[in-house]
Amino acid sequence: MLKFFLLLLISLNGFAQTLCPDNLATLPVRSGGRVKPLHILASETLRFMTGSEKLEEKSAVEVFCKLSFDGMGIKSQLDLPIKIEHTDAKKLLGLTDADTFMPASKLSLRMDEVRAAHQAIKENNSYKKELNKILSRMQVLDQLKAGQTWTLPEKSTQNTIQWLPIFEFITEPKVASLKERSADPFQLMFEEARADYIKIEGDAFMMEHTYSKLNLFLWSLLLVILGLALTFSLKTLSPGLTAAGLVIALELTAMILRILISGRAPITNMYETVMFSGFGALVIAFALTLWKKQKLFLIGGLAYNGLCLMMMRFANNMLDPSISPLVPVLRDNFWLSTHVTTIILSYAALALSWVLANVVLVRQMFFTIDSKETRFQMEQIYTCMKVGVVLLAAGIILGGVWADYSWGRFWGWDPKETWSLIVLLIYMAILHGRYSNWITPARFIPLTAGAFMSVMMAWFGVNYILATGLHSYGFSEGGAIFLGSFFAIQTTFLIISAIKNKKALI
Amino acid sequence: MKFQSFVDLYSKLYRLLGNVKFAVVIILIFSAYLTYGTFMESYHGTDYANRHVYKSVDFMFVQLLMFLSILVATLQRLPLKRHLYGFYVIHLGLILIFLGSFITYQAGVDGNLTLAPNTAARDVQLNEDQLTIQLPEEGREVSVALPYRARGVDLGLEWEGIKVLRFLPFSELQTSWQEDKLLDMTRQHSGTYRLENDNFGEDLTLSLHPEADFESTMQLGPLNVHYMPELLAECFSKPSYKNLIIWDAQRGSCFLPQDQNIKEKKGMGGKNMIELKVGERTLRFLPDLSPLPVDENLKLLDKAEHRIFSRALFQEKPHLFIFGRFASFFEKESQTWQVRDLKPGIDVALPWMGFRLRLNRHETQSYPKRSPSEVKPIQDNGELIQGGLKAVEIEAAGSRFWVTTSQAMSLNRKEGRVIFILGRKSLKLPFEITLDQFKMDTDPGTNNPASYESFVTLFKGNQGSEKHHVFMNNPMKKENFTFYQASYFQTQEGPYGSVFSVNYDPGRPWKYLGSLLLVLGSIWHFVLRKKPARPTTEVAHA
Repeated sequence: MLKFFLLLLISLNGFAQTLCPDNLATLPVRSGGRVKPLHILASETLRFMTGSEKLEEKSAVEVFCKLSFDGMGIKSQLDLPIKIEHTDAKKLLGLTDADTFMPASKLSLRMDEVRAAHQAIKENNSYKKELNKILSRMQVLDQLKAGQTWTLPEKSTQNTIQWLPIFEFITEPKVASLKERSADPFQLMFEEARADYIKIEGDAFMMEHTYSKLNLFLWSLLLVILGLALTFSLKTLSPGLTAAGLVIALELTAMILRILISGRAPITNMYETVMFSGFGALVIAFALTLWKKQKLFLIGGLAYNGLCLMMMRFANNMLDPSISPLVPVLRDNFWLSTHVTTIILSYAALALSWVLANVVLVRQMFFTIDSKETRFQMEQIYTCMKVGVVLLAAGIILGGVWADYSWGRFWGWDPKETWSLIVLLIYMAILHGRYSNWITPARFIPLTAGAFMSVMMAWFGVNYILATGLHSYGFSEGGAIFLGSFFAIQTTFLIISAIKNKKALI
Repeated sequence: MKFQSFVDLYSKLYRLLGNVKFAVVIILIFSAYLTYGTFMESYHGTDYANRHVYKSVDFMFVQLLMFLSILVATLQRLPLKRHLYGFYVIHLGLILIFLGSFITYQAGVDGNLTLAPNTAARDVQLNEDQLTIQLPEEGREVSVALPYRARGVDLGLEWEGIKVLRFLPFSELQTSWQEDKLLDMTRQHSGTYRLENDNFGEDLTLSLHPEADFESTMQLGPLNVHYMPELLAECFSKPSYKNLIIWDAQRGSCFLPQDQNIKEKKGMGGKNMIELKVGERTLRFLPDLSPLPVDENLKLLDKAEHRIFSRALFQEKPHLFIFGRFASFFEKESQTWQVRDLKPGIDVALPWMGFRLRLNRHETQSYPKRSPSEVKPIQDNGELIQGGLKAVEIEAAGSRFWVTTSQAMSLNRKEGRVIFILGRKSLKLPFEITLDQFKMDTDPGTNNPASYESFVTLFKGNQGSEKHHVFMNNPMKKENFTFYQASYFQTQEGPYGSVFSVNYDPGRPWKYLGSLLLVLGSIWHFVLRKKPARPTTEVAHA
């Protein structure tokens, strides 16, 4: 009935454009256990299905809204390009290796084949996971078209907010009565819903809108590039330090906003740990630069921060920027903000030592660097490593205390805790080796560069390789590809530099 | 002289243990073990990794060497030197952590307490496996602690004429075919089949042998599979009076009502009845209700050798009849019963959802048995998908058999009954705990759990009761035990039960003190310590 009514309304009044008015972006919606502005939900949904937050020139909100009305017979004519990544999945669907998308209209005709292939694979390997993703993407699209994804706030008679799916929210009498008050009833309807929600629950959800619109990490990235250019080209430190200071301020603002939005420390998923480690490394580098008056720290800090920002921007396959509720055991702000922060800060300090070590190796390979200078550089790297090791030891122990407090065991050989211990042990082996004369300055630098691979394993490998269960050999997935490439590049580089610097190493 | 060489060896060993290079080597060996352990954990699951690596004897030895290295390195650097204060504190911290962990390992308790709603519980299940042998008539029982190993182990234990032969910590039931030359091939055959369509596939093993570990009926979603003697296939291929088929199990033959001019009658409460003359006797059947004959009181005569099948009962819903090398089903389109020949490896189309049936193996001289065989476990998302069964092999009263965690065994000997149970060791708490309510909050508008909470009552004999509220990050502490909200489950009746992890850790104070010293020592050593001046400072300002 409603469908008929809407169709009639649209055909009579040319409402087709106004079903999805411009004011939708800041409308509060409830999804995944949180209230957020519609444009955040729309962007997340579209990104999940297509890998992009836009469809041609149409915004995520427009696409989301139009698709939501699809199920009502108001055809959007939108054909989403669904992301297909795995080679075997492409083969199954008759795509070439160069194709990375398949139109939803065509894909929907092949879903039986996808489902059958998914069923036929017994092991939970990367192909099966990709098919699962395709099934989920299509399911999200179906749910969206059925109007189930979009829930809106409505004021109840007890003056509380209740959440309704879009087709329950839009009722014939509601539209009819609004039509008497406005030539654009849908715009008015969404406006009133938003106003009602803000009156009762406040406008805290708009913080996420501000956060998203400010694009703080993009500005940070530009400033990092500027800071690096200034530090390299100028003799004085202050312009570079100013740029770094601004980056720290911007990233701090972004993190505070995330804290205000989520109500917890911003270190609960990979995206946030990468963000925090970049930030932490820059803060440590900033402090060390001020203390030791050394350019090298600043360069290392800015370079690592830039790497993190680029990962956050371009590796969305692996790092999910959305804010979502936590699993119950992590809901303890005290432990979360002490244990995780300490660990990530230690990774940040060790990352600085890694950047600096690689810088020295590059200089040894392509430029001349005397032994005095090498020894000096080693001291800088050593400083970072010491900070990292102390923080890591403290972080592991804090983790043990948290585990003891939450689960009743200080240590349980869980892969994450075991790997953080492996990292500590490896750096300990280097430090002990340095006390004996096994590790000369020339060996210390490549070992430091290589040791960071253990940090990457503890940080990403446990989640992207070990947690998937080894039998899936998930090396074709985002995180594992990243990690595998990192190991390959770093190892190759170490081998080449070892061959080139053979004499120095002996 | 001998004493002197012993002293020499000791001092050599002492020097080696305190050597920094030895420390580096042992740290690297320790790291290598840990790395291996994490990969084992990822592939084979936590329990296997613990048994195979983290709690294995060789890993304990590496830890001992690590401990000795730390201890001796510290002792060798005595008396106290000012620039090594940080070093002493770090190493003392590590020694205390090792001691604390050892105390926990020796005297600590780590187990689970399962709380069904409103039921008092006091048994904490520990991680150790044990076999309990009960002699109920004599009121005696014995428990055998099973070794904490990753691989199968021969036990060679004997008690009251019962031999406990072998323990498999990770096993899987595997099918083996036992020969039986006396098999009545017309009635006791067995077979394996593949039933599949594009979305689903299942291997079926079916048997009519009385000692087989496989059934002759199976339900797969809406489809019912009936495995029957091959001789019935012939009768299924023909149209019959009222769709009835008569089977003489004694002779191993079947016939149709019209062959002996048998007709249906009204009788016994208005139900359709068939009378079958067998020699002198007349058997009465109510084929709409049961294939078995009934007596005057309508009681089923389950020992009777004759059965009457009413195929009409199997026409509405999907029923697949497999007769060894034949299959039969009712085809709704033609309203007829169809019989198909099953040839090994060749698919036969069935009339439901594109399903196909394929005969893989037809056996008339052996039957399928299932027995545990050792495997390496495989985990997926924290659950074991292979190898989750523990098993113990027993020899008693002249036969060998397996007791598994999923099936206790009972054996009748001439001395009396024996019961074997393979389970976990348990510990009795000094009080009882009852779960009053389990509460799970979800994130608004989703089914994702946001918190788990248990409301419990503690009963301690005459000292009355007390109420407690246990939730994530808020454990309950009582008489040295700490109870943590660990998990939950739904009972068949509907309400939720809760699982606590129960812990007693006498090593805790040592580990905490050690940790504190380790962190303070690290700060002292790495950050605060004044190093001897190095030439680098000049370069720094150059």
